[in-house]
Amino acid sequence: MMSATIPLIDKELVGQHGARPGAMGFLTDTTLCIGCKACEVACKQWNQLPMDNFGFTGNSYDNTGDLAAATWRHVAFVEQIGDGSGQRAATMAPFQSNWLMMSDVCKHCVNAGCLEACPTGAIIRTEFDTVVIQQDICNGCGYCLPACPYGVPALSSTDHKAHKCTLCYDRMDSGLEPACAKACPTDSIQFGPVTALMEHAQTRVADLQSRGVANAYLYGDRAIGGTGGIDGNNAFFILTAEPEVYNLPAYPELPQDKVGRAFLTTFGAALALGVAAVVALRG
Amino acid sequence: MDLSYKRQWETRGGRRRSVPDKTPSSYYNIPVIHKAHWGWLVIVYFFLGGISAGSYVIATVADLFGGPETRRIRQIGRYLSLAALLPSPVLLILDLGRPERFYNMLRVLKLRSPMSVGTWGLSIFGGFCGISALIQTAEDGLYGSSTLARRLLLALPSKPIGVLGTFFGFLVGGYTGVLLAATAVPLWAKNYLLLGPLFLASAMSTASAAIMLVLLSIRGTSHRTLKRLERLDVIAIVLELVLLIAARANLGPIIARPLQEGKVARVYRWGVLGVGITVPLTLLSIGMLWRKAPARLLGALSSLLVLVGGFLLRYVMVEAGHASADDPQATFAFARKKEK
Repeated sequence: MMSATIPLIDKELVGQHGARPGAMGFLTDTTLCIGCKACEVACKQWNQLPMDNFGFTGNSYDNTGDLAAATWRHVAFVEQIGDGSGQRAATMAPFQSNWLMMSDVCKHCVNAGCLEACPTGAIIRTEFDTVVIQQDICNGCGYCLPACPYGVPALSSTDHKAHKCTLCYDRMDSGLEPACAKACPTDSIQFGPVTALMEHAQTRVADLQSRGVANAYLYGDRAIGGTGGIDGNNAFFILTAEPEVYNLPAYPELPQDKVGRAFLTTFGAALALGVAAVVALRG
Repeated sequence: MDLSYKRQWETRGGRRRSVPDKTPSSYYNIPVIHKAHWGWLVIVYFFLGGISAGSYVIATVADLFGGPETRRIRQIGRYLSLAALLPSPVLLILDLGRPERFYNMLRVLKLRSPMSVGTWGLSIFGGFCGISALIQTAEDGLYGSSTLARRLLLALPSKPIGVLGTFFGFLVGGYTGVLLAATAVPLWAKNYLLLGPLFLASAMSTASAAIMLVLLSIRGTSHRTLKRLERLDVIAIVLELVLLIAARANLGPIIARPLQEGKVARVYRWGVLGVGITVPLTLLSIGMLWRKAPARLLGALSSLLVLVGGFLLRYVMVEAGHASADDPQATFAFARKKEK
């Protein structure tokens, strides 16, 4: 049973995914997350990422804020304290507290906006079907930033290049699982072949729903999260509230699918302006 | 390490909220997507690139169809297209995080990346601007009357070169709009069909205004030559206005917020729509309807205002995009639009 709060447009697309053979990815099951931030720390340690900021958001237990150049895992804390009318919640969703925690990460899209936007070819697709920014090529043009519908890549203030999660390419290359998945104490972050993970995710969603978590659903397939030409994410999530609650877009689009049509109208306008110039200058 | 660096959400003072009572509709108002870092360098480039592209197109059309009456337009157009183009690569390279690696742009051509298409388009168009300006110097007798350089340059097929260069001129004038449109930024992406034409129309209006200003500041330009340029300017401005209205209507109330409230909205309303379009259109129509009007004064004033408006249009488009990217509600509205 899908709750009415999570609008699925195409229910028949649930679990469908365009991942290529041999694709590796993450399943981040937010119902298992305890917000310990071990993934954030493990990621920083393994990838030798410096501090992004030393600040206090005043929002929650989350002083990380969002994904950034040196923050490739970000644990979101959504405190659902009240019941909407100013009263303290008297009931609690089954199998969960009124605290949603979610470890956000690069989605490693099947068709990635950042990769297609990159004018230097610095962003590549690896043999694991993941998306990696080659640091020896990137020249810091910054076009991948607005090209990502999830706000993942970011420019570093130290080396002025774009950075994001590599799905621990170096560890995978040596047969190890990514640092965040390895460190996760509750197996909220699971790593494996995308096909197997996707099957597991659907079993898990069905299990959660049968236990009374009617809101549980999969984010990152063709039905929601991996929509609009993106064709699914290799890093997907099990969520229990609307995507917006976790700062995720519900139906993102691959920006580059617009390029062809945009150039067509532009050349249409060019033709019109050319004719206008002939008419005006001819006398 | 630079510890003064602030993350986006940290610098957006006043928009933080305490923990809300009910399920929040966004994650503490933290932006969903990352905005582009583009600032003045890119805004100035958008402006100059447009003038360069428009000038080249106007010079070619004047060359092919204008006859002797538009000789000066062709001359100034060719020179102006090169002059406005020359700073462009410098501005773009300076805008890179790692300028010394700019040449990495030239290791691939990706047709679905407007940044890549634009890099190549600008490089090739630069060559055309250079050749056409060189031919013009020969025609203007810069190398004497019978030197080898003059004969070589005049032997070049200037008209076919102009036609080919015009294609790349249109590409350089319009790709900037597609560049903005092919992103996840709601205010840009929602109008993906209109931004290219809008930037192109503005390229033509600013270019004809720039040529007009140069023509007015030198002697010996006939009234009829100016009138032709003025007509083109009016057509381009009207098209620009129509596109702006269509784009604004297409945005919907939430995504259009940066054009409705705040500083950028004021610049849009008074600078772009007022100073850049309405006032010059009024001045130009006064000049067309009232024969005794001081034509040169009206022409100079309206050209100046069109240039100011064209610059502000680039500013507003870039800055409103940044504000739009920072607004989670706009991103959500854009990413939910398929909902029935």
